[in-house]
Amino acid sequence: MNAHESTAPPSFVILQIGNRRFALPSETVVELAPPVRLHRFPHTSPLLAGVIVRRGRIVPVYDAASLLVGRPASGQRFYLIARRQADRASDLGAIAVNGECELASGDVLPPGADRSAWVAGTLELADDSVEVLNFSALPAFHPGDASNSRGKESES
Amino acid sequence: MKAPGELRVKPRRTHHPERVILFYVSGQVFAIAAEAVQEIRSTDSLAGAAMEIENPELAKVRHTLERGRQAYYVVNACLHFYLPVERPTLLLILRDLPVAVLVDRIDRMAEILAIYPLPQAFAGEERGWYRGLTYLDDTVIPVIDPAGFLSAEEYRSLDRSQKAGSGSSELARVVQS
Repeated sequence: MNAHESTAPPSFVILQIGNRRFALPSETVVELAPPVRLHRFPHTSPLLAGVIVRRGRIVPVYDAASLLVGRPASGQRFYLIARRQADRASDLGAIAVNGECELASGDVLPPGADRSAWVAGTLELADDSVEVLNFSALPAFHPGDASNSRGKESES
Repeated sequence: MKAPGELRVKPRRTHHPERVILFYVSGQVFAIAAEAVQEIRSTDSLAGAAMEIENPELAKVRHTLERGRQAYYVVNACLHFYLPVERPTLLLILRDLPVAVLVDRIDRMAEILAIYPLPQAFAGEERGWYRGLTYLDDTVIPVIDPAGFLSAEEYRSLDRSQKAGSGSSELARVVQS
């Protein structure tokens, strides 16, 4: 590791869900997939909207909007595919986004004590601050746990 | 680049194409191995052969059916998969299990080359419902696990209801959990 690598600020993919922006560590992001068909079938797992097929793999799609902004995704036709840690292995998952993603770097402040478990911290940008998502923690929560996020969106 | 510990989701390829029956329940298509189905009958043709069974704990089973010397618990697939209830017209009588499944309609038979494991994110009852997923004609279709229609505890509960109702159990069958 050289000196440049050790001092470079971490990079993040900024994405929009509903009317809010969130950040995902760029090293967890696999790709921004174009609009593809969402396949649905019966299941009882909370927060899962269905699956997409991408590059020969079946990728589960999380209804992150219900959790993060308090309502199901609408008008979000692209899929951000990212790695999530499950036990000691990693698996892929996707969340629906509107396609407007950007790469940004900045300092991350630790999450406040009252923040939800899926918030890994707050990314300080030049003109804004956005919550950094802990993608691995998202699936552990039911939509009913989203009251905090719903409140935040109504404030924005 | 493959991340350390990343799960490689590879389909379970069969040595030979597997024949499946595609059927619909409440607008949702499912696949089941053709060899798991002994017989397909219309509900009308079996109306006289079905007997009511009362088990308030298990709404998806309301009838038993006698075919030959074998009795079957009739599972309403709409209720099993928590789908809106429609009027089923067909009964899939399973092979090797005392289960018959009410479905809406048969689509067709098909051959599948691979079954993909259900992604780990699916952690609910569906892990018992499905053998996995298959991809056919640009559609992801869940492949039914016939053993998932009734759990061992559900068999025991139904057997108790059966005994209470008739004094004898035609379906006393040990099903390992």
